[in-house]
Amino acid sequence: MTDRLRHHVLSAFGALALCATASAAAEVDTERTIGLVVVSFYTAVYETKYMEECPRGLAIGNDEIWWKSLDPAVRDELTDGGEIEPVTGIRRAMSAKRGPNGEDVCAMPTIVEDPPHKIVQGSISYGMNLDGNADGSATPKTCAHKNFTTPDGVAGIDNQMYRLLGCTFGWRDSGYIETNANGELIDTSQGVTLIEISEVDDRMNDDDVTVRMFRANDVLPKDAQGNVLPYASYRIHDIPGYGAPAQGRIVDGILKTEPIEAFLPYYGNLAHSEIHLRDMRVELNLNASETRAKGMIAGYRDVDNFWSYFRKGGYMAVTGQFSCPAMYVAAHELADGYPDPETGECTALSSAYKIEAIPAFIVKPESDDMKVSEMAPGPTQTRLAANQ
Amino acid sequence: MIKTVTKIVSGLALALVAFGLSACGEDEPLTQGNDPQLRRLTEQQYRNTVRDVFGGNISIAGRFDPLERIDGLLAVGASSATITPAALERYEALGRSIALQVVNERNRKVLVPCTPASEAGRDDSCAAEFVTSTGRFLFRRPLTDAEQTLYVSISGDAADTLGDFYQGLAYGLTGMLVSPKFLYITETSEPDPDSDGLHRLDAYSKASRISFLLWNTTPDAMLLDAAASGDLHTEDGLEQQFERMISSPRAEDGLAAFFEDMLEFERFEILEKDPVIYPTFVLDVADDAREQTIRTLTYLLLDEGGDYRDIFTTRKTFMSGALGPVYRVPVINPVGWVPYEFPDSSPWAGIHTHLSFQALFSHPGKSSPTLRGQAVREHLLCQKIPEPPGDVDFSDFNDDSNPILRTARQRLDVHNEEPSCAGCHKLMDPIGLAMETFDGAGQIRTMENGMVIDTSGELDGVAYEDSIGLGAALRENPSAPACFANRMFAYGTGHTPTPAERQWMGYLEGKFAEAGYRVPVLLREMVLSDAFYRVTPPDLTQSTADANDTFAEETKS
Repeated sequence: MTDRLRHHVLSAFGALALCATASAAAEVDTERTIGLVVVSFYTAVYETKYMEECPRGLAIGNDEIWWKSLDPAVRDELTDGGEIEPVTGIRRAMSAKRGPNGEDVCAMPTIVEDPPHKIVQGSISYGMNLDGNADGSATPKTCAHKNFTTPDGVAGIDNQMYRLLGCTFGWRDSGYIETNANGELIDTSQGVTLIEISEVDDRMNDDDVTVRMFRANDVLPKDAQGNVLPYASYRIHDIPGYGAPAQGRIVDGILKTEPIEAFLPYYGNLAHSEIHLRDMRVELNLNASETRAKGMIAGYRDVDNFWSYFRKGGYMAVTGQFSCPAMYVAAHELADGYPDPETGECTALSSAYKIEAIPAFIVKPESDDMKVSEMAPGPTQTRLAANQ
Repeated sequence: MIKTVTKIVSGLALALVAFGLSACGEDEPLTQGNDPQLRRLTEQQYRNTVRDVFGGNISIAGRFDPLERIDGLLAVGASSATITPAALERYEALGRSIALQVVNERNRKVLVPCTPASEAGRDDSCAAEFVTSTGRFLFRRPLTDAEQTLYVSISGDAADTLGDFYQGLAYGLTGMLVSPKFLYITETSEPDPDSDGLHRLDAYSKASRISFLLWNTTPDAMLLDAAASGDLHTEDGLEQQFERMISSPRAEDGLAAFFEDMLEFERFEILEKDPVIYPTFVLDVADDAREQTIRTLTYLLLDEGGDYRDIFTTRKTFMSGALGPVYRVPVINPVGWVPYEFPDSSPWAGIHTHLSFQALFSHPGKSSPTLRGQAVREHLLCQKIPEPPGDVDFSDFNDDSNPILRTARQRLDVHNEEPSCAGCHKLMDPIGLAMETFDGAGQIRTMENGMVIDTSGELDGVAYEDSIGLGAALRENPSAPACFANRMFAYGTGHTPTPAERQWMGYLEGKFAEAGYRVPVLLREMVLSDAFYRVTPPDLTQSTADANDTFAEETKS
């Protein structure tokens, strides 16, 4: 192998291989930036083999409550005298519209009172210590809550989102909600998050890098097996609100950021949404594999922001098997962050999301510091922010 | 294509200045020429013609029979291509489909130049107007009175039978579209008044040669007018037409068609890769890889007016969103195409390093130094590699799991211990082995079965270390530009240069070299020459015309 080829191969595979050579991508003007595109985004849910974290079982589905509420004559009508299952499409719509006057209980979750939502009772969870204390006591920014310990023994973990969703079918392993949402992410290229790590001097150890997250504006290219291809180029979407800078550091290939308030794009279950996280921080193993970074995003997710997602995808109550009213009540009861100044009730849920990301080139518009081919038109040059 | 006329003109001007604007033909060697050709339209020529005559909204949904590649070019094979009865049926169905679209209610207002006295029956006057105007472009010359009468008659008879003028007209148009005078570029000759005893193509045949060479489509109105007026037989008139056509963006279509043929790119239509081994090689990637190389060539040779030999070393290319991940390079606009220049330290320089070349000349599941070497020898250097013996034992080479023979180089070394194989392989393998760091789908690799790939070799005595060095060796190999000139002449005339044309080819190659291997200059030299239109006496032409008339009568019946 010639030096030329060896050099290029180092460059091409340098993004996640994290070879210590800072000149790895010298042929592009982005050698100090790592670009990633998120291809997997799951609520961090810790599960045991025998579901010990959910001793009371899983949450009751919206349609189950609805079905139980029907009088026998209506059941008879819907099932053609017990001969058929209620048609799925009808069931979904009808089960949500069970307010006193047919109101949608996912859109108006306080209009009926359902049996309490079943929440996690266990003490182990993935996540991060967001409030800085280990005992779950209230702080100026948090309400009192129970902390978790990670599977490998780190105490003080704040993850009330897990407590809320961990015993609900749709969010558990192979549960429909998140599996479906991730499939839609790949299939539609909607709500795709880009991660830009800039000012990187040393890809293994660097005590001062800047991390920004953007919404992608281009499709995820796939290979013959449907996997998203690494090293694709993505322009960032011009929707404002993304890209807040977070200071970070890389230690032995692990990126950790300081907390910031951030918005992440999200699309799933046919609902466009946006994840609003306060005190958001990223922890990412840039060396998880040759072409894949793995890690976690954690922060306080605004309850109203969380609920807006449900309102847009009402059928999730059926496919995910939960009661919207019960979930709504539980979400507010479990909220542990950002107390309302007037009521003192917390307005956000400590949350953690497992993510996987692959190398990408992030193209940012209208800047002057991208080296582009001299063949490119001058006035409309774009800046390439990410590299490999 | 994203290039502009301005760029092309400036590129050409640069080339012509470099050439010194020497007058063409003054010291041109005389040739006897070759037989006038009867060349079956290629699929692209058919499509381009229909598009240019009837517009781009006419759907052309049909299958075309492949052409045989002769002496490295389909364009030469087209000169001996037949049309089978089954193919004729397909042409008829396709022609009928096109004709019905042309006369449908939306299109007839634009494409039929007159309104019939009644739509319920024949109107020979209006039909004649349509047949005359359309037939001129389809047959690439004015229709003869007999042809005119034939297609007007078909249209009228059908209109009477069907009670519909436009339906009748569709039958007349279908007749033209299945006529050999449309399906074949039919050349006719005439005595050359400037050269006693020699013959040349007539003006319309000349127009077709120029048009299919430069634009890969039927002659336009200005070119046919120049043929009709006799201007095309004058030096000034010919030069005027050449300058007009080479300065048009459509010259890119012409050059693209040539390279598609020269590089055997029609095989992309059937190119398959094992999706398990090469998951990145999806349809979009294959399509874009093909286009990338064509864009690179037309940009370098027309827009920039570059040196042909730089096709082996250029790092300038174009990149699409689909190709970016495969090359692992950034694409500033993933939608569409953007100019891109490979960094100096990258392994990509020259079209032989492009994904297209590497993937096309490989097996579905692995690379092939032999196929790649053969492609370079045959397509880029015009050196014919003999067919392998029928009883070759490929088992050693195909055994990728051999723990001792881990690289293609090692396996080929063993394979080449067979004397009957060694002679040819030593021509091909050193070239192909230089490209072994590209896998069968054109992606970079450094190791094969745990061993570092050795890409060193030599080409006709010039040693190199890798595919970049191979490109440099190709650039300086005198066979490369000579091959290009020969292929271009063969492509334009439909025949491989004959021994009697060798002196002319030497002259053309010399002019090409004098001009710094600028392609527009080569084309200019060809188009303005006498040799490009020189043909042997007209016996064959006459017999062909007779055959065509017979065919036309049969078509009518």
